[in-house]
Amino acid sequence: MSESVDPGVGEAVTTGPESAVETTEGDVLVEVEDLRTYYDDDSLFGAPVKAVDGVTFDVRRGETLGLVGESGCGKTTLGRTLVRLERPTDGRVLFDDIDVTTLSGEALKEWRRNAQIVFQDPDSSLNDRMTVGEIVREPLDVAGWRSAEERRERVRNLLDTVGLQEEHYFRYPHQFSGGQRQRVGIARALALNPEFIVLDEPVSALDVSVQAKILNLLEDLQDEFGLTYLLIAHDLSVVRHICDRVAVMYLGHLMEIGDTEELFADPANPYTHSLLSAIPEPDPTARKQRITLRGTPPNPRDPPTGCPFTTRCPAKIRPEEFADVGDELWERVEVFREVLRERNRADLSVRQRVKRLLGRRTQYDDVDEVITDLFDDAPVDVPEELRGHIGEAADRVRAGNPGKAVAYTDDAFSSVCDTEKPAYYAVSGSGRESFCHRHGGGYESVDDVVERKRSNDGLDV
Amino acid sequence: MSTTTAAEDAPSARRSEGEDLTLRERIAANPRPALTWGAVFALLVALEFGALASGLIVLTRTAVVGITAVIQVALEALRAPFEALGLEPVVGIVNDVLGVWETSQGRFPVTSEAGDISRDTVGKIAESKRHDAPKTFSLLWVQYQLSDFLFGLQHFTESVPTLLNREVIPNQGFKTGPAGPWKNTFLGLEPAAAWAVRATLVYVYAFLTMFWVFKAYNVYREHYRVADWTPRDDVVDRLRGHRWGQFGFVVVFMFVTMAVFAPTLGPTTAEANIESTYQNEVQYFDSESGQVEEVFVGQANAGAKSKGQGDQNVGPLSYDDYGRYHPFGTDVNGQDLFTFMVAGSRISLFVGLIAIGLSAFVAATLSLLSAYYKGLVDLATVIAADSVIALPQFLILIMVSVAFQGHWLSRVYSGGMLIALVFGLSGWPFLWRAVRGPSFQVAEEEWIDAAKSFGQRVPVTMRKHMLPYILGYLLVYGSMSLGGIIIATSALSFLGNGLGINPPTPEWGRAIAAGRNYVSTQSWHIATIPGVMIVLVVTAFNALGDGIRDAIDPESEGAEGGGAAAGGGG
Ligand code: SF4
Repeated sequence: MSESVDPGVGEAVTTGPESAVETTEGDVLVEVEDLRTYYDDDSLFGAPVKAVDGVTFDVRRGETLGLVGESGCGKTTLGRTLVRLERPTDGRVLFDDIDVTTLSGEALKEWRRNAQIVFQDPDSSLNDRMTVGEIVREPLDVAGWRSAEERRERVRNLLDTVGLQEEHYFRYPHQFSGGQRQRVGIARALALNPEFIVLDEPVSALDVSVQAKILNLLEDLQDEFGLTYLLIAHDLSVVRHICDRVAVMYLGHLMEIGDTEELFADPANPYTHSLLSAIPEPDPTARKQRITLRGTPPNPRDPPTGCPFTTRCPAKIRPEEFADVGDELWERVEVFREVLRERNRADLSVRQRVKRLLGRRTQYDDVDEVITDLFDDAPVDVPEELRGHIGEAADRVRAGNPGKAVAYTDDAFSSVCDTEKPAYYAVSGSGRESFCHRHGGGYESVDDVVERKRSNDGLDV
Repeated sequence: MSTTTAAEDAPSARRSEGEDLTLRERIAANPRPALTWGAVFALLVALEFGALASGLIVLTRTAVVGITAVIQVALEALRAPFEALGLEPVVGIVNDVLGVWETSQGRFPVTSEAGDISRDTVGKIAESKRHDAPKTFSLLWVQYQLSDFLFGLQHFTESVPTLLNREVIPNQGFKTGPAGPWKNTFLGLEPAAAWAVRATLVYVYAFLTMFWVFKAYNVYREHYRVADWTPRDDVVDRLRGHRWGQFGFVVVFMFVTMAVFAPTLGPTTAEANIESTYQNEVQYFDSESGQVEEVFVGQANAGAKSKGQGDQNVGPLSYDDYGRYHPFGTDVNGQDLFTFMVAGSRISLFVGLIAIGLSAFVAATLSLLSAYYKGLVDLATVIAADSVIALPQFLILIMVSVAFQGHWLSRVYSGGMLIALVFGLSGWPFLWRAVRGPSFQVAEEEWIDAAKSFGQRVPVTMRKHMLPYILGYLLVYGSMSLGGIIIATSALSFLGNGLGINPPTPEWGRAIAAGRNYVSTQSWHIATIPGVMIVLVVTAFNALGDGIRDAIDPESEGAEGGGAAAGGGG
């Protein structure tokens, strides 16, 4: 048990907006409070996609804050919301203490100068029918900045600043390489002299050899102009290389946020653990096992009620009643639940849907094989109670109703991770926070659980 | 802020390097190529200034009448339900906007019978009915004043002498004796030769002018453009190597030339030969009386009919008994078929251009809006388009023709305007379907987000960042549909019965209708020549469309539909 690591650690510091961890280093430029961005993608009916689902953090002036997570976790939507390319559903974004989520019209246009974005795909971010000069000049034209002549001059200077030649003014994007195009995109973002720039995977579309150059350029620009960055990335080595702090995102939530080195060296949240374990170890003799996550992230239209990571968490808290069930057997129970969820979610053809509606089974409803695989040849005996629940669930699947089976297992096997949202706990002296029940009192520490998992190394399914 | 200092570094120093200069300054720095080009161009324009300017004015006037007509019809449609409900004040307001005709009989709100401003067929100048002018400021007043002004301007420009003119190179004359020399013709040549000289000169002039306009692009590219490469260059280069597209272009160009120079090209004019045959006379050498006689054109036409049997036929490339030369022969009424065809090309082109212009405008606007805003806007557009598609165009046309019988609109260009509006307003979904995909594709591009991120206005974003990517598709499908509209207009005129373009205004379809019984006789030309020309023109428009498509989007070669990348232009 590790509830005694640090004074103050283990206490919930935040669940809501009034929470920013008091820090001494640097003042805050952007304050994000319980931000939510939901959107209906194309379908007019059905639940909205909860891309960002209650996120609170600060961006400090002059820092580079990394935002990492698997694709689809909402990190891009979060970045786009911060520069008001998406309209937030709820929450506030305070930019120098002004709430920018409610701005509109001229005020919004005025504010937009302060917050710019560099896009991921340099092929798509530049209009091919305009010259590079026109592209970089457009923000200045829109803002009505000085005279036409001064604007052209500024564009030349910007091209120079980002490492292009002034003669490139009259070239078209087609004549440039990916790296050069990205430089043009950076020059455009710089044109209005913003304070804050969202970098949406700025190098992931580029050749490895070019990536470093662009990253160095971004760092130089930051020093030169005192910029504040939010760097969205899935390449963790990039993040470790240039970010001061990192925020880890999963299914619309921040799982952990804090100092980069600390977070990489000693992750607190189970999700951060599994994310980092995916980085290949530089030292081949290191015996660290990779943590493989089972299943796929839940549908963001219908996220879990409790912790967002609950369906896949390797350190998930066990319900009281099953505390004495062996780890490996319990793992099989969780796998069984994941199988049920996947069955329920599987995109069925219309015919199969009709079959299911008529109470007939589809090929997805063949549950007995799964039970045999999982439990009949389990290394230890399956307790009666457990078998009973599994049998009940299987009956519901056989009846052609995997939805009910999922509901049943949710009910029978649920723990605090399934039912309650965790709080943010300070997990280090520097103010790093993690979103996990295990940091609260009375649970085995994340490190211990993860370590045990690693040495057991889960079973193959 | 730190970076604003950038602009202080002596911007004028750079101006000498040439890249920052405006086009005018760049030309001033190296005036020779531009001056050479400009001088030749000015000469070309001066030669035919009257004809070109009047053509331009006719186009403008057509647009004015067309646009106001659309608004007017929409308002009239709006007025009806209020009238039915007895909401007098609203009806009054609408009437005020529409305007009131003041005639000797009193004031009338605009109704179908009240006024007639369809004073002419295309290009022909008639007397305006000033006593019928709307007196108060209103939509009709605006239309009337604008149209009247342009009318006056047109009258003026047509009085400006041109080089290629039937007065300068006349082909109508008479023999002074049985074998005697020709009188009144150009240099005393026989009418066929005189006409051929004029027609050839018109086409030489047209091709020269077109060549010179293309030359402007080269001069600009070579001497004045700062960028040494643009995406447009690739398009032009690909078009240069596209034979099928070039064939289309040349035929289309000849067709357009025919329409623009219609009054000059024919051996006689539509007015003299077709419309007012008893106000014009023709002199000829009568071999029976042995002297030069004078008859009304109408009488001469009666003696020059092509009716298939006996000696009742004046075939292509022949003279009739009155010394008149007929390059395409005569039709069943004895009218000159070539004159009929060139005058008809104007109507066909007008109807086609107005309809396509209207369709393209609606299609582009709606597809851009729905691609940008998506969601409900898109749904509304889809429903609107599907509803319009669901109605058979032909049925709409018949219904509209009946509903507008007697309305002044039905007399503009002898019904051509009404047909054009119906085709335009019912045909846009077809163009819309072609550009919707590309619109959505370009709306996904990140440069749209970029524009939003620095606060670009939405209309500008659409025009600058989206429209260029669908314009090519509009051109492609527009030129292909134009062929369809020409066929449809001809088909309607072929059917007659109040549909299509009404007599006496020439329309190709009517020539086919009139000549269809004589196809197997010696008068085969009446239906065959217009038929072949329609096929040729329609094919050419399609070929041109193919050419443009392959030029903007080389990957789609031969493929149907606009599925390929929106990033046309290399
Ligand atoms: S709250 Fe539970 S499920 Fe969520 S990360 Fe912590 S242990 Fe895992």
